[in-house]
Amino acid sequence: MSNPISHWSPANQERASRLLEAYPDRRSALMPLLYVASLEHRYASDDAMEEVAELTGITAAQVRSVATFYTMFKQAPVGEYLISVCTSISCHLLGGEDVLESVEEAAGVEHGSTGEDGLFSVEHVECIGACGGAPAVQVNYELIEGVMPDRAGALVGWLRDTKPDVVLADEMQQLFGGVRSFDWGPTEAEGAIRPVPAFAPYGSAREGR
Amino acid sequence: MPEPASVTITINGVEHEVEPGQRLISAAERVGVMIPRFCHHDKLEPVGKCRMCLVEVEGPRGKSLVPSCTMPVSDGMVVDTESAVVEKAQEGVLEFLLINHPLDCPICDKGGECPLQDQTMQWGPGESRFIEQKRTFPKPISISDIVLLDRERCVLCDRCTRFADDIAGDPLITFQQRGNDVQIQTFPDEPFASYFSGNTVQLCPVGALTSVDYRFKARPWDLEHTASVSLVDSVQSTADVQTSRGKIIRVYAIENDAVNEGWLSDKDRFIFSAVHAEDRVTTPLIKEEDGFREASWAEALELVADKLGSYRGDEVAAIGGSRNTNEEAFVLGKFMRWVVGSGNVDAQAGDGIDPALAATLTPRARIADLDTASTILVWGPDLKETLPVLYLRVRKAVRNGATLVVASPAGTGLDGIAAHVVRYRAGSGSDTLRKVSAGEADYAAVREALGEGPVVALVGRSSLAEDPKLVEAVASFARSLPEAKLLTLLERGNVYGALDMGLAPTLLPGRMSASDSTAVETLEDAWGPIPTEPGRSAMESLSDLDEGVIKALLLVGSDPVRDCPDPSLAADGLERAEFVVAVDAFLTDSSSLADVVLPGAVWGEVDGTVTNLEGRVQRIRPSIQPVGQARPLNVVLDDLALLMGVELGSAKVGDVTAEIARIAPAYASVTLDYLTFEADEEGIVVPIDESTDLHRYIPAEVSVPVVTDRMTLHLAPALYDDGVWNRNASSIAELPRAATAAIHPRDASVLAVADGDSVRINETHTLPVVVDSEVAVGSIVIPFNQRETKGIAATASVQVDPVRGDAQGDA
Amino acid sequence: MTTKILTARMEAHPEDSHTLARYESTGGYDALRKALAEMTPEQIVDSVKASNMRGRGGAGFPMGVKWGFLAPAEPRYLVINADESEPGTFKDRQLLERDPHQLLEGILISSYALGVDQAYVYIRGEYPKPARRLQRAIDEAYGAGLLGENILDSGFSLDVSIHLGGGAYICGEETALLNSLEGRRGEPRLKPPFPAVEGLYAKPTIVNNVESISNVPWMTLNGGDSYAAIGPERSSGTRLFSLSGHVKKPGNYEIVMGITWAELIYELGGGIRNDNALKAWIPGGASAPWLVPSEHLDTLVTIDDAAEQGTMLGSGAIVVMDETTNVVAAARNIVKFFAHESCGQCTPCREGTSWLDDILQRILDGQGRPEDIDLLLDVSDNISPGLAWPPAMTTICPLGPSATAPITSIMRWFRPEVEAMIPMSEVASA
Ligand SMILES: Cc1cc2nc3c(=O)[nH]c(=O)nc-3n(C[C@H](O)[C@H](O)[C@H](O)COP(=O)(O)O)c2cc1C
Ligand code: SF4
Ligand code: FES
Repeated sequence: MSNPISHWSPANQERASRLLEAYPDRRSALMPLLYVASLEHRYASDDAMEEVAELTGITAAQVRSVATFYTMFKQAPVGEYLISVCTSISCHLLGGEDVLESVEEAAGVEHGSTGEDGLFSVEHVECIGACGGAPAVQVNYELIEGVMPDRAGALVGWLRDTKPDVVLADEMQQLFGGVRSFDWGPTEAEGAIRPVPAFAPYGSAREGR
Repeated sequence: MPEPASVTITINGVEHEVEPGQRLISAAERVGVMIPRFCHHDKLEPVGKCRMCLVEVEGPRGKSLVPSCTMPVSDGMVVDTESAVVEKAQEGVLEFLLINHPLDCPICDKGGECPLQDQTMQWGPGESRFIEQKRTFPKPISISDIVLLDRERCVLCDRCTRFADDIAGDPLITFQQRGNDVQIQTFPDEPFASYFSGNTVQLCPVGALTSVDYRFKARPWDLEHTASVSLVDSVQSTADVQTSRGKIIRVYAIENDAVNEGWLSDKDRFIFSAVHAEDRVTTPLIKEEDGFREASWAEALELVADKLGSYRGDEVAAIGGSRNTNEEAFVLGKFMRWVVGSGNVDAQAGDGIDPALAATLTPRARIADLDTASTILVWGPDLKETLPVLYLRVRKAVRNGATLVVASPAGTGLDGIAAHVVRYRAGSGSDTLRKVSAGEADYAAVREALGEGPVVALVGRSSLAEDPKLVEAVASFARSLPEAKLLTLLERGNVYGALDMGLAPTLLPGRMSASDSTAVETLEDAWGPIPTEPGRSAMESLSDLDEGVIKALLLVGSDPVRDCPDPSLAADGLERAEFVVAVDAFLTDSSSLADVVLPGAVWGEVDGTVTNLEGRVQRIRPSIQPVGQARPLNVVLDDLALLMGVELGSAKVGDVTAEIARIAPAYASVTLDYLTFEADEEGIVVPIDESTDLHRYIPAEVSVPVVTDRMTLHLAPALYDDGVWNRNASSIAELPRAATAAIHPRDASVLAVADGDSVRINETHTLPVVVDSEVAVGSIVIPFNQRETKGIAATASVQVDPVRGDAQGDA
Repeated sequence: MTTKILTARMEAHPEDSHTLARYESTGGYDALRKALAEMTPEQIVDSVKASNMRGRGGAGFPMGVKWGFLAPAEPRYLVINADESEPGTFKDRQLLERDPHQLLEGILISSYALGVDQAYVYIRGEYPKPARRLQRAIDEAYGAGLLGENILDSGFSLDVSIHLGGGAYICGEETALLNSLEGRRGEPRLKPPFPAVEGLYAKPTIVNNVESISNVPWMTLNGGDSYAAIGPERSSGTRLFSLSGHVKKPGNYEIVMGITWAELIYELGGGIRNDNALKAWIPGGASAPWLVPSEHLDTLVTIDDAAEQGTMLGSGAIVVMDETTNVVAAARNIVKFFAHESCGQCTPCREGTSWLDDILQRILDGQGRPEDIDLLLDVSDNISPGLAWPPAMTTICPLGPSATAPITSIMRWFRPEVEAMIPMSEVASA
């Protein structure tokens, strides 16, 4: 049987095999593998799901059943920068919808979709645990708190202009953020390289790497 | 702590003694309190998802609403199923289910037999309070070749998906998306190609899943129902045959826990359209120079009587009868032995096992014994491909904790859940058996597992190329296992019935030996003189036809040119025969070589009894008049015998059943009246008298063929094949998979072929290669009776040559 | 009283409270050393029982009692619930980012007490930074011999792994979480069996919240009874409240329960932005029925007092709404949340929450009908019969009933305002 992921980058293949080892039951690696697959394919594509099915020993229909349950496994290709604007209650009270609107405007992309140039995807999301720093935004799941509507537009412009390879929460917070839920402590140099959570096994990078 | 025999529960103020361990919804139903439900199903794990079955149960902190489908009964439980709170909750759930339902009952196949519709009539509010946009999905999508899905009608009860996953082991339909967007779906380009997909249509409580061939065909209130059994295989699943205006249009399973527990294979369920196929032979046919011409029954029968009467008894042979009723089979045996004077009768076609072993192996298991077995040994054909409903039963047993041991030269459907898989090179089974029984090195764990009783052993011939003596050897080993019970695995619909009726060269009716002089005397007392020696088997008859020793052949629904291990021998034999008469429903490769073809009535048209692989007798009943001029075999032979000057007295089925009971000791208790099936009857198991156990269990030494430069052959049956019934059943006709030749990677590299390349087998057949590590090294696996493998002889070994370039394309 | 158990270190050392060096230099892992050297597992369980601490994830079930239900079968698992998705809640994020070793030490001691050698921390997918911080702490701990085989030469071994969620609030429900960890849809399971008997991989499993477990080191060092002595009897210990919405000083506040709501909102929270009037607040996350100043400002912040007022402290998330708030829009926002997050397996929640959302949206769009008020309440009643507290349910888990909390709240406290939005209603036409 040929290895279904042999076309994946060596780093991702290595990630996948480590994840498969990490649990008493291969199926437990399903969600982590979907992240790695998203890193490779930009979203949970049919191909990706078939590959993950092969790796975990379940059917592709079962993989799809799981993947489509969760909002972070995307069902269509995602742009370079996934901008998620929280509109749940605390952010709603402090203008989350306005932030969403200005992000949509600045990016030229309606929420729930991806721009034609593949640079931005915009979505509104339910509470991302930043209510004390409402309204809150994430770029590739890296958080910026206290983003007022005007600064949100500027954030989008900055992303378009600088196109950072690694998206860093502290940098964006400093440039475009405001009030925070709590003191974040020392700055971090690790961030996202794709619209996938920047966590070592799924893909993340240090600035200036 | 042992469970008490019963617990007392109070439902709506009335006390009831009920069996412990069951769910409240079932306990209530058994005492006549029907609690509405959608997701609950007796044979599926409770999930409590639809919430329709909420009732109030008293607890330490007062009454609370609980789903009765997940709540086990307990002693002293006090339940209210009719309180205002319960009614409101149930009405509420119903309203929730209806807000997004299309309410298209007038055009829905389920209209008239739909609990959602019924409960809406009974409880539902008159007018909808829901004025929002309904959830819509594009109209029906096909989730397989056979099944369509209307997502709008789906109530997300999880029945089809639980069935697919837990029961069938084919999790190809799943819930997808979340919340209000949840829907049942397959993976794109990966259809719900399960052998059991049709069960989901029957399980679906609403009209979301429909079968392609039933859609818009009838309204439930127009249907007539006949409780009968399926004759597709020897499990003989109990089935409800449904007709409308003289045609069979649907087959549903009947929940007979002793046999099929309410499941059918798709072949069981969808074969029926062949009964009405255009290609049915509907009048007698007589062959002339330029082919068949239609004839009257009178003309055809006279010709046959004339011809058959002109030979000595032992110059005539009969092959077939395994898809007929017991009564038909009995009459065929009586006709051959007494009227014709020939013992050359065989219901098998050389593809089976020793009839005495099949008919009298003890201790015989019942299907339900699998439920309580500690260890199950399957050494034989792939159950999923041959006896699919038995495959489900083994799956269930394993799910409930039984240890499964599978032995086969190639992967089988059960391997995935087996604790031990014994793989052996095709042809080397007896050597492997010796090692297993001795618990030699690699087999120590298997041997140990088999030491854990009670053991149920399912033994059969794994491939047409396998020596049938291996089955005897395996059976004799299995008998030595702790608390062992056995089932043999012959496949054809009523082959066990036919053997019990004496359709074997070595057997007389009632599982008596053909060389047992008392049994012969008893029959002679009843009928008149019969041959006193065993007759010839099908293979012997076919080769004697070729030699000219046998001159005339009676074929009864048998197609040896397709089914016997040596197709060319069969074809040559039929060509050389002086006279061949076939009673058949179709012109098969064999019956088309006959001189006279008589249209036989078939399943769905005939009345009588049948016997399954555990010896269970059930009633098979007619749902329709025979198509055209087709007639049941007992009637045909009655007429034929009269023309030959003998009165068989077999025109009436009931008379034959009564005669069987008189003559065949094992069937003494079987009467048609007894078997007037109401839906919950199980049939009767005809006992095997262990003292008359004909099989002596001296397993012959099975020779291991010496094969050096050839590969040993594993010629394995597949569920969907190129048989005439399958071809003529419209909804499954296209389902046979394109045949391939599977070989182990080591052999692939020796032959220098890869997936997609082709190999040539015996210089006659070319097949694409599948490289499969589940195939034993040195073996080649080829499906039996497929379009592309037609004519391959089941020899022990074959010559395999890689095909170079594009030299492909003969079949 | 200004007792701080969980946040003292991060307040004193904002730059490096998350590092092993700082943790150890401030008494970290002393509790583990004590537990391994001086205490039997039973003694630790007893200490946790004595603390009377009620779980901080939302349900408020006494931690020691739950531990007592753990079935004897092997292996057993400890699973830390860091799915923190209840709108308004962000306390676990702070504990993970700022003091991951405190959680790890809690996990170590708890695992030792429960006979566990594999623990999982299920962190919501939208929390990559907390996951990175905890992962670094885990790596440091392995390096220092505090995780892995034979920890501190005690013979006790433990592995801890992080599992990231995929974006589904329902995975905070403990059985949905276990399904998710097994690579399945995050659908809550039927109970019984409870996880303590059949949990992860059908093995005995304890699921506890990040904050709950972060308290274990302190309890171990100081004794469960000392913990019980802090605060009111049935609301013992300190608690981390997440304050958000229209307050001047949003943030996490570790307090001893028993203060008044007025103190919490006006003193700690600094009062309402622009000094506007307070209109209502949600006391325990989006699932909790609302409280209003006219009735509740002077009542006490305790688990029992909240229950008496027909609500709960839930996940400790307080969302404050001032006079400018459109309560129908706020309620709809929360209902929409639950509709979006419904797993969809049971009928009343799947169909009912979306229906409620639709009706509220229609009212907001000016298309409300007078009968919609009764309809909203009756549909709610069909999800949570009686609309009482604690909620009865026609559903499998409490998510569906949670969606009715904002509806009953606005109908109870702001009904005229709702009616005023409905064109043909009596109020609107008056
Ligand atoms: C819908 C729903 C969401 C929940 N979300 C969370 C959550 O995000 N975090 C959490 O710790 N507990 C959550 N819980 C509670 C958990 O089911 C469980 O009670 C808790 O993790 C137990 O830990 P504790 O006893 O330490 O609080 C939720 C419960 C429900 C019903
Ligand atoms: S109440 Fe909602 S979230 Fe909970 S099980 Fe039912 S559908 Fe799922
Ligand atoms: S039948 Fe009980 S919940 Fe569906």
